[in-house]
Amino acid sequence: MKDAITVRNLKKEFKAYSSRSGLKGAFRDLLTRNYKIVPAVNDISFNVKQGEMVGYIGENGAGKSTTIKMLTGILTPTSGEVTVNGMNPHRDREKFVSTIGVVFGQRSQLWWDIAVQESFRLLKKVYKVSDEQFESHMAHVIKTLGLEPLLDKPVRKLSLGQRMRCELAAALIHNPPLLFLDEPTIGLDVLVKLKIREFLKEINEKYNTTILLTTHDLTEIEALCERVVMLDDGKIIYDGALKSLKEKWGEGKEIEFQFLEEVEITDLNSITASSEVKWEKNDKEPIYTAIVEDNDELISLLIAKVVADLKVKDINIKETSTEEIIRNIYDRGIS
Amino acid sequence: MFYIKIFFQYVAQYMKTRMQYRADLFVEFISDLLFQAVNLIFILVVFGHTNLLGGWTRDEIIFIYGFFLVPYALFSSFFNIWDFNERYIVKGELDRILTRPIHSLFQMVLERMELESLFGALTGIAVMVYAGMSLGLVISWADPLLFLLFVIGGMLVYGGIFVMIACISFWADARTSIMPMMYNIGNYGRYPVDIYNSVIRFILTWVLPFAFVGVYPAAYFLGKEEWLLYSFLTPVMGIIFFGISILIWNSGVKRYRGAGN
Ligand SMILES: Nc1ncnc2c1ncn2[C@@H]1O[C@H](COP(=O)(O)OP(=O)(O)OP(=O)(O)O)[C@@H](O)[C@H]1O
Ligand SMILES: [Mg+2]
Repeated sequence: MKDAITVRNLKKEFKAYSSRSGLKGAFRDLLTRNYKIVPAVNDISFNVKQGEMVGYIGENGAGKSTTIKMLTGILTPTSGEVTVNGMNPHRDREKFVSTIGVVFGQRSQLWWDIAVQESFRLLKKVYKVSDEQFESHMAHVIKTLGLEPLLDKPVRKLSLGQRMRCELAAALIHNPPLLFLDEPTIGLDVLVKLKIREFLKEINEKYNTTILLTTHDLTEIEALCERVVMLDDGKIIYDGALKSLKEKWGEGKEIEFQFLEEVEITDLNSITASSEVKWEKNDKEPIYTAIVEDNDELISLLIAKVVADLKVKDINIKETSTEEIIRNIYDRGIS
Repeated sequence: MFYIKIFFQYVAQYMKTRMQYRADLFVEFISDLLFQAVNLIFILVVFGHTNLLGGWTRDEIIFIYGFFLVPYALFSSFFNIWDFNERYIVKGELDRILTRPIHSLFQMVLERMELESLFGALTGIAVMVYAGMSLGLVISWADPLLFLLFVIGGMLVYGGIFVMIACISFWADARTSIMPMMYNIGNYGRYPVDIYNSVIRFILTWVLPFAFVGVYPAAYFLGKEEWLLYSFLTPVMGIIFFGISILIWNSGVKRYRGAGN
């Protein structure tokens, strides 16, 4: 199967202007401005296959939106090659954009003053979608996203969640084989998030739609994407299955203990002195967490030791969450 | 063909949206007419006390002003891009436009059109009829056609200049608007060319060819043989200038930086 997205040594630099201080500085700024070249995306390469759902993650300012803007033809790369749906997004932009759908959670793609259905109708003309195609496809989209009651309202009167669902529908009017979603669920409540998630899964299954998604909500990535590409400071630091990310950087298991008596960390440390364990105390509740290597043998030994010495109220074995893994990577870097 | 179809789709949508605010439409119409009337009085006052000014009679000047109002009305209806820098560059609204399969400049024209401004054309024609009658001008069969051609040419000249100025935003990182300055320059286009010196005339003809929006084409209807060549250059200049502005726009879009959210 052909790749939907091919990126080779892609780079985007921005000039960041700085102004000098004082009146004298302002005059000098008029003549020559000081600037630094900031690489927002720094030499990245990756491929995405048709039908894949890829999570594109990274800290604020890592370069996610910049990448998406280059992949959608909005920005011209400083250097490197991009091929999306067999085209060069920037050079063939007007032809190219009818093969993709784009949602930027941070800003609206719809016309502010126009009723939602009018927007859809206008976009249908813009994308040259036939009546039959529109009816069969959009009727379903509108129903699944629950947009019927919103159709005759102008976009500016919609709530954020209502608007985002409309934005998503608008991006799908021409049923594109490739969808770019830049923080599509930012600021939405859990129910709307779930609805959107279900919906994305469905269109991916139904039409084999490729989806590239950025979000800071990792549960979303876990629910949707098998593969993640992690960006840090404009460079890809991980590209692969979400599962192996967990295996590689998951810090083993966490075992939570609640005791019937007062316990000090030092007690716990002395009880388990013979094995590799790190104890942490929860700030709010009297819960102590033992972080150990993911090894069944070791875990049962640890529990046996603790239970033999102390009265235990509750025990809970947890895997380190993706959230924590990612946080650790952001904190300390990949190595 | 597709673009014409889309154009009417947008116009229909525009009308629909406007009809929902009928009261506004009426108020705007009235205030627009008032504005035009004030403008006319201003012209009468300014040129009223002289009968001859730079070789033009008072009525001729009023006629030229009336003519100018027509391409200007078209221009303001379709090139309502005063806030291009703030809105599309600084706030990054061009992102949205660039992800749609229609030429970006055309989309902006469609999005921002203000069809109410077309009322200005009616005022302009009324002014022309008034001045024309006191001048005793006669209309030949070809005149309405040439009028249309000159008006469109004038609009394209004006639009072309504006698009070029707007394009500065792609290269400069200025956050201030260049448009007020443009507006002031644009006003020169209304008044007769030969009351200025030859340097200014050269500029208004070949550099910022505002003279093609008012004086030159109007001179044809006033029967001024000496400007005939320039009159007929109007549509040509329109196409050339607007064409160049599109080329500049296209290369500007490649430099678009977007807003860093
Ligand atoms: N138009 C621009 N001009 C100058 N610098 C920019 C511009 N757009 C982005 N940047 C810079 O490029 C870097 C990457 O920005 P980008 O918006 O791609 O980050 P991001 O990964 O999407 O972050 P977030 O999670 O906050 O959305 C940032 O340092 C930002 O300041
Ligand atoms: Mg972003």
